[in-house]
Amino acid sequence: MPSPFLPDWKSIAEGQRVELPEVSLQRLEALSRTMLGLRGMLDWGEEPAEVFRVDLPQPEPRS
Amino acid sequence: MTLVEAAAALRRRAVSSVELTLNCLARIEKWNPELNAFLTVTADVAMEQARKADAELASGMDRGPLHGIPIAHKDLFCTRAIRTTGGSKIFAEYVPEFDATVVERLANAGAVMIGKTNLHEHAYGITSENPHYGAVRNPWDPERSPGGSSGGSAAAVAAGMAVAATGTDTGGSIRVPSSWCGIAGLKPTFGRVSKYGVLPLGYTLDHPGPLAQTVRDTALVFEAMAGYDPKDPSSADRPVPRCLPEEGELSLRGVKIGLPRNFYFDRIDKQVDAAVYFMAYTAEDLGAELRRVQVPDGEQLNALAHLTLLAEAAAVHEPYLRKRRKSYGDDVRTLLDMGRVIPAVDYLQAQRLRKRILGVYLDILKRVDALLVPATPMTAPRIGQKQVEIGGEMEDTRIAATRLLRGFNLLGLPVLSLPAGFSSEGLPIGCQLVGRPWDEPLLLRIGAALEDRVQLRRTPPRFA
Repeated sequence: MPSPFLPDWKSIAEGQRVELPEVSLQRLEALSRTMLGLRGMLDWGEEPAEVFRVDLPQPEPRS
Repeated sequence: MTLVEAAAALRRRAVSSVELTLNCLARIEKWNPELNAFLTVTADVAMEQARKADAELASGMDRGPLHGIPIAHKDLFCTRAIRTTGGSKIFAEYVPEFDATVVERLANAGAVMIGKTNLHEHAYGITSENPHYGAVRNPWDPERSPGGSSGGSAAAVAAGMAVAATGTDTGGSIRVPSSWCGIAGLKPTFGRVSKYGVLPLGYTLDHPGPLAQTVRDTALVFEAMAGYDPKDPSSADRPVPRCLPEEGELSLRGVKIGLPRNFYFDRIDKQVDAAVYFMAYTAEDLGAELRRVQVPDGEQLNALAHLTLLAEAAAVHEPYLRKRRKSYGDDVRTLLDMGRVIPAVDYLQAQRLRKRILGVYLDILKRVDALLVPATPMTAPRIGQKQVEIGGEMEDTRIAATRLLRGFNLLGLPVLSLPAGFSSEGLPIGCQLVGRPWDEPLLLRIGAALEDRVQLRRTPPRFA
């Protein structure tokens, strides 16, 4: 029976008009199960500004 | 002849670059029809570069240890005026107008480009069973896979068709073929070697690096290819230290080597287990201190790495997948389709978790200088073999081959793969040394010490 916490990969794939073999659907389900378990490891107190960095060119120093 | 031996022979005029190059070309002519390691042989370019190298050396101009050495490039590195297929149908006729930075650097170091090597399609797989150009075969047993995706590079080096080669590693693609072909390979720290001009697969996972017969040879090629490149935004602006370990018996006194008590030795072939422990005890005999360490859950790390690769590769290939869907082989197309359905939230959470797990590994690497683990849990499978039996359980070949390697791509840590022994069937077994960021010199020193002491056969008997 599918878990309410896990995506229905077959429907998602069909929504994307992608046909995936059973073994790939099983692999995706295994990945999402692991991700579900790993969410407990997320540090919700981390500084959001430090999560991702966007590198823009540095301005020229003002004379 | 190893790179170190060839470089020494060139300098005492015992051999010329033209002779080395002709020897490689002759071996390619003889063995490539069977091994299918090369997609393009650049004989004319190679002979021109070899003649130039000889002339320069004769005039006293010495570009360093790679001067005059025949090297092969994985056909994922762009080469000016020479087709660069990526092992794909999509890029079958692509002729770049520029060289990848690695290609340029090795050329400036005097290396002779002997050709472009076969690979898993788009470097997205570990068997090198290429649907467009045919399977690469393992020089130790042509019925078996050489590993991949840098399978042609590893087969070319193992069979003496090139003295060294370039490769890329996104989920084990240098270390699987190095392990299964009985040679050394280095996945450098992320950012150490430029990705400019390398056809991408995973933006944050791709690591270009060298493959060679020995650890010292690997060190020499690494030194020449590494360093800051402003053309690659992920390139690290830090100096490259000397990496070549000195000759003579190297002591490992003071070096602390960690052996994980969980995951890495859990589901592996008994012969692999024995070979890697033999390397550990050899390190101890050379003065190293062995320490047991607990590492983060490897299955979880693999899931994060796999999810990241699925999403990034799908992003890289999106335009081609839409327009030229039928130009992909079945296995690669399926992986790209899987990537298209990965939720963005999962990808982002994976990147946050990636930092956390890296932090745990960096703490471990404060207590030990390097980790010693198996490279793959089994030896080379037969070509076409979809499942392998390990410890009495059947497992998907692709997942088994990468499960001890993939996580280190996510973490960006440097990893040296080197031979650890042979199975009862005479197939190579490999191990990995995992180090702190930027600490390739220590990994190469430990690897060279082990290699010197263990003295494994480097060349398959047929190719000796």
